[in-house]
Amino acid sequence: MKKLLQSLFVLLFIAGAAFGQERTITGTVTGKEDGLPLPGVSVRIKGSSGGTITAADGKYSIRTTATTGTLEFSSIGFTSQSKSIGAGGVVNVALSTDAKTLTDVVVTGYTTQSKRDVTGSIASVSGEKLKNQPIQSFEQALAGKAAGVNIIQPNGVLNNPPVFRVRGFNSISLSSYPLIIVDGIPVFTGDQSSNSAAGNALGDINPADIESIDILKDAASSAIYGSRAANGVVVITTKKGKQGVTKVNYEGWVGTTKAQNLTPLLNAAEYVLIKNESRTNIGLAPAFFLQNRADGSQVETNWYDYAYRTATSQNHALNFSGANEKTSYYVSVGYGNQQGFILGNSFERKNGRVNLDHKLFKNVTIGTNFSYSNTLNRAPNTGSLPGQAFSTVGLGRLAIVLPPNVSPYNEDGSYNMNASGAIGLGANTIASNYPNSAVLVNEDKNTSESDRIIANAYASIQIVKGLAFKTTYGLDNLKIDNNSFVNRLQGDGFSYNGGATSNFVKNARWNWSNTLNYSGVFGDHSLGAFIGAEDQYTKSSGYGATRQGVIDPFIQVFQGSFSTITPAGLTQGDNAFRSYFGSINYDYKKKYYLTGSFRRDGYSGLSAGNKYGNFGGASVGWALSEENFYKGSGLSEILTRIKFHGSYGEVGNINIGNYPALYLYSPGLYGSSPALSFSQAGNPDLKWETSKKADVGVNLEFLAGRFSLDVDYYHNNIDNLVQNAPQAPSKGIPGNTITTNVGKMYNKGFEFTINSKNINNDDFTWSTTLTFSTLKNEVTELGNNNADVFGATGLETANITRVGYPIGSIYTVPTAGVDPATGERVFINRFGQKLRFSFARAAAARYQYLDGANAGQNAPAIDAALDATITGQSIPKWFGGLDNNFRYKAFDLTIGVTFSGGNKIYYGSLAGLRDQRFWNNEAGVLNRWTTPGQITDVPRLVYGDNTSNGSAFAQSQNVFSGNFLKVRNLALGYTLPQTVLSKLGVSSARIYLQSSNLLIISNYPGPDPEVSVNGNSTTTGNSGNLAPGVDRNSVPSGRTFTFGLNVGF
Amino acid sequence: MKIKINNKLKYLFIAAPMVFASSCKKDFLNTAPQTALPIEDAFSNPDRILSQVNGIYAGVKNGQFYGGRYLIYNDIRGEDFIVNKPNGVTGLDTWRFNVTSGTNEVVNLWGAVYAAINRANLVIEGVAANASILTPVVSKQYIAEAKFLRALSYYSLLQFYAKPYVTDNGASLGVPLRLKGEKDLTGNDLKRSTVAEVYTQILKDLNEAEPDLALTLPATRASRNTAIALKTRVYLSMGNLASVVTEANKIVSATAPFAATTGTPLKLESNLATVFGGAYVGNASATEVALTFPMADLDAPGTQNQLAYYYNVATNGAGGNEEFFLNPTGIFANAAFAAGSTDARKGLTAVSGANTYLTKFKRPSPYTDYVPVIRYAEVLLNLAEATVVSDPTRSIALLTAVRQRSNPGYVFPAADLLPANLKNTILAERRIEFLGEGLRAPDIMRLGLGFVAKSGSQGTAPAIPFNTAGYIWPISSTEIQNNKLVVQN
Repeated sequence: MKKLLQSLFVLLFIAGAAFGQERTITGTVTGKEDGLPLPGVSVRIKGSSGGTITAADGKYSIRTTATTGTLEFSSIGFTSQSKSIGAGGVVNVALSTDAKTLTDVVVTGYTTQSKRDVTGSIASVSGEKLKNQPIQSFEQALAGKAAGVNIIQPNGVLNNPPVFRVRGFNSISLSSYPLIIVDGIPVFTGDQSSNSAAGNALGDINPADIESIDILKDAASSAIYGSRAANGVVVITTKKGKQGVTKVNYEGWVGTTKAQNLTPLLNAAEYVLIKNESRTNIGLAPAFFLQNRADGSQVETNWYDYAYRTATSQNHALNFSGANEKTSYYVSVGYGNQQGFILGNSFERKNGRVNLDHKLFKNVTIGTNFSYSNTLNRAPNTGSLPGQAFSTVGLGRLAIVLPPNVSPYNEDGSYNMNASGAIGLGANTIASNYPNSAVLVNEDKNTSESDRIIANAYASIQIVKGLAFKTTYGLDNLKIDNNSFVNRLQGDGFSYNGGATSNFVKNARWNWSNTLNYSGVFGDHSLGAFIGAEDQYTKSSGYGATRQGVIDPFIQVFQGSFSTITPAGLTQGDNAFRSYFGSINYDYKKKYYLTGSFRRDGYSGLSAGNKYGNFGGASVGWALSEENFYKGSGLSEILTRIKFHGSYGEVGNINIGNYPALYLYSPGLYGSSPALSFSQAGNPDLKWETSKKADVGVNLEFLAGRFSLDVDYYHNNIDNLVQNAPQAPSKGIPGNTITTNVGKMYNKGFEFTINSKNINNDDFTWSTTLTFSTLKNEVTELGNNNADVFGATGLETANITRVGYPIGSIYTVPTAGVDPATGERVFINRFGQKLRFSFARAAAARYQYLDGANAGQNAPAIDAALDATITGQSIPKWFGGLDNNFRYKAFDLTIGVTFSGGNKIYYGSLAGLRDQRFWNNEAGVLNRWTTPGQITDVPRLVYGDNTSNGSAFAQSQNVFSGNFLKVRNLALGYTLPQTVLSKLGVSSARIYLQSSNLLIISNYPGPDPEVSVNGNSTTTGNSGNLAPGVDRNSVPSGRTFTFGLNVGF
Repeated sequence: MKIKINNKLKYLFIAAPMVFASSCKKDFLNTAPQTALPIEDAFSNPDRILSQVNGIYAGVKNGQFYGGRYLIYNDIRGEDFIVNKPNGVTGLDTWRFNVTSGTNEVVNLWGAVYAAINRANLVIEGVAANASILTPVVSKQYIAEAKFLRALSYYSLLQFYAKPYVTDNGASLGVPLRLKGEKDLTGNDLKRSTVAEVYTQILKDLNEAEPDLALTLPATRASRNTAIALKTRVYLSMGNLASVVTEANKIVSATAPFAATTGTPLKLESNLATVFGGAYVGNASATEVALTFPMADLDAPGTQNQLAYYYNVATNGAGGNEEFFLNPTGIFANAAFAAGSTDARKGLTAVSGANTYLTKFKRPSPYTDYVPVIRYAEVLLNLAEATVVSDPTRSIALLTAVRQRSNPGYVFPAADLLPANLKNTILAERRIEFLGEGLRAPDIMRLGLGFVAKSGSQGTAPAIPFNTAGYIWPISSTEIQNNKLVVQN
């Protein structure tokens, strides 16, 4: 497209050949970023009709009669520049790339469209924005970059998939993760690892290879993806060779990462003081004591040192690209080895890519995008992935619960352990149940290694002018090898003398699409239309086993000798899509726009009569600024472009698994006999989940694009919601749920995007991008007569999905501080009565009325299921990003800020940090209640008390505002001068220093309010949809500093 | 733009596969799993129907239920165990009477028992609908086994979620009685039947099962004597001593050596250690277990459900996790466990560190000890207890048989056998004999006793007097949320 336009310019200006006499101006046009000569740049004298274009070496010459005047330089993809003609005859100019115009073309599915003509709602992010970031997968860098797109990094575990939501949570039971299309192939997403080493499938794609990301948000843009479009569609286009000389680019960085905002804990002396005080308060003898080593020094352990570290990372990407009239190529290789701040956590990726396009005959073009990657994830058990929150071997938890007065090592260097598989006693008389984390980080291993080929091949044939047939065969083959080993000394492997689990999963998908595409211009009418058919088949199978009981402690791998073996990680499944689709778009004079698209999807997972569903969307647009009456008005000088657009459509979500319609019986064992049992209550009436999306918006451009504002309002109405409808457990239905179409929910909100070129001089440029989005979600109907759906995080329930409230609202028992008279925690029961609680009293007398007629009398115990109330919504009401880019001569500075808020976070870890068992506590516990009249939020300490703090059930005292502002990215760069570089044969070089997550501004008491231990999980016990915004025993996030180099040859 | 004809043909060749692909694979959208059967095939032949009967056993044997946790909860609620690993996941709150309706023990046990009940109901209906595939005798037998397991499941529910029958002759609320197979979206709401109504159903199922059950079967499945043995337990829980005697007499000979004379050859094993060897089922001529649930490497109780994991020592490769140790002031203070005692049951304990642990269950990971459900020793002591007043001589003979099997030379002090003390002596014998086998809390409850306070270095548990707060568990919170007719305790 760009090339085509470029050629058009060439024609245009050759036609208008210049003629004059006075003098000749010459010069060279280069790219500002890389210093390379720019061919095909149009050069014209302002006010005159003549002009020329630069040659392949970037040189031009133009003749003019004028003695003064202004030369205008313009080229697609670059910001136009004017320079006055001075006395000399040479005018050189460096054009800077225009990030906005680079994405002038959006990829809307099976076709592309000029951004000016888009009437749907599409957010585009240039690959440039992902460059040089210390990320594992591209979507981590999208936070704050696109309106309506909310990215929440769950925690600091490397390659842990971020929560990725486009215009809200669009499902209750199904995945709300958008459909990701890479070069036309719907790729596998999500955490593909089966152990603690998170393995985001999108981490296999090198961000450096990405040219652009287009996020289709409304139904009109996404309806062409039909049943898979409800969560939004993210279309990734990888880089292609550009016409001109062969370019070689190297991008590399090294960096260091550290955990940030670790919660201060009690030291050894404080721990002994606090724990013994709690024992004395219930009449027990002190049981915790300081320990001295033989040399008299006191044991003082900071367990953070046995969980976190300062880590170093490196990343390298090298690519070659170029093109001539017949062939374009882009070849890249990459290597990255990121070490996490968590001990033993790393992400290592090796990848290669070849993108080729070749004009075979005059009318036939063939091409391929072929990529291979190998990704190796390593991690300890961090307790921070979905489902792990209450693991007793999670490193995030161990670092805060282990006793600081006990050493990880004995004085002889051996591990400090007791006989029953926990850390040794030290001088204490009460053992901690928790294992010694030093043993776990040293001896346990988890790896998840993926081998991935994402590739397509296509042939495109132009049948007649404007009509092209294209056939594309794509595949995504993802093979994952998961290996874990648990040692025999401590932790999970203790009771079975060590063990290893390995499994291997093959995921294979092919996708064959055939489309017929027409486009034509008839006078003032432009028409585009296409139809297509597509088949897609996905198969996955996995096998593996667990081995237990190492025969010799030397054994640390699955293949070694163990005493038992049992199957593990067996999976088998397949599904198929058959689809027919088409779209049409029309405009009159680029003034009035009309588009419509339709898709009929068949899915194998539905029952015979329900397999097919129809989806579609339509949009209209009106470019008011193209109207003659507007062009003539004075306003058009300032407000250069106004376009209104609106769309409506119906799309679906079909993440229902492979066989939800079927009633199934699974063969199993009873001892050694076959035992067949009911394993799935199917639902033959199950239908497509549908999302009706409406969108209206306006695009405003001021001062010829210097400033632009896009505003959108959207309303997604999700009905026919597929819910794993809860069944009364007494029915005995497997899993206590049946997948069924019940329930309704909506998401609505405003989106604002502002782009501004504040200052644009030769020496100094400053541009700003702001995105701001609002989101209101409300559940309006649920299954089983609007029965509440509870969101559990492992062993704890702190979220509820209730009609009239946002999905996954925080749900806790209300507390009202600490009674100053007694130092007891005050609860509020469902009758509004205040109850004092003391664990020091007999069971029946633990709860007593605080005030009123019954003050001091025994009260019924708090029942979390009955007394809990909704404490706030857990999904942000507003979020966005503010990017400022400065360039002064050779220096550039980027400050990227993201913000989010309006939500509450359940800080469950704080319950643990104040638990009055043998667990260590946060330093704030030193403010515990000790004297009558004292005002504090930490109750009188009672040994064994796990109720006052919130461990026994979730409480409102541990709920905090989720508002935050983060300096996510701060980068300072310097572009080396051309004069130095040319001697070295280097055409451009930039060095930079960068920081990620430099600063968090927030009132949240935990390490990072951007947190979600349940991530994208859809598992009932730890669903990211049903239980978002939970911070439970998770590792913190990291702060990264990098130094990098970009070189072009 | 000009196009040659042959070029056009070329395009057709390229386009043809697309049309071909779309038309030839008619079954493209018909997929099915290769690891699970569609419901239509579930009762299609006798082997599969038998496999489904086994499926009910497998359901009852779930690690959350009879495969481990049901027994563990019943023992640790009692006074004979002290928590060593205060872990909320491994029964801490059950031990210290701190559960709420949302506690995992409360939710998971409820769910596991009803899942088993639904399997039984589906088999009862499925066998009836497919009776033509089976002989009448076999189809009756399968239904009888399903009813037996349903009865065992309902009996188990009552021990946690309802007040003991003795409270008010069963007038208080029991549990919802689900008697038909559930597989669709309907029928969430069902009220709780009374304790008496549930017991009536349990006895109805057992009485109907008794004649239809096989006369003999390996101890891993219920036979006629198994149903009779369970009835002695059920009637004892109801305080119906006469019926205990009636039922027990069907399988207990009048005089020692006590044995069942018909059906499965129930008899005390001469050496108790044999019963707890790990995979005990007895043999064709004698077995002590009326029912035991088998385990295998590929059919293990599952993580943190295993008896040996909770009770056994960690040392010497035993693989236990030392979760609970024997309370020095519980039954472990009995002379049978004292230093120098020659009682074989003392041999089923071991010291680790400062504490003594129960080693009855001893197979290391994946913990494949067979789970004893009903032992003949229990039938004997049930009968002994039922005949304390009506036939003290026989009662003493039964008690002595159990004691002397483990301590052959032992003679009870005369005082222990006095009419006023005999029952207590029998009750103490039950605690010694069935330590760790899940009988203690039901015994406390049927006797109208309270739970006594317990304490150890890792925690304390309060005393819970009879029928006071915390005495029974609340109904599972998920049931409350989804069954509008159910009333919380």
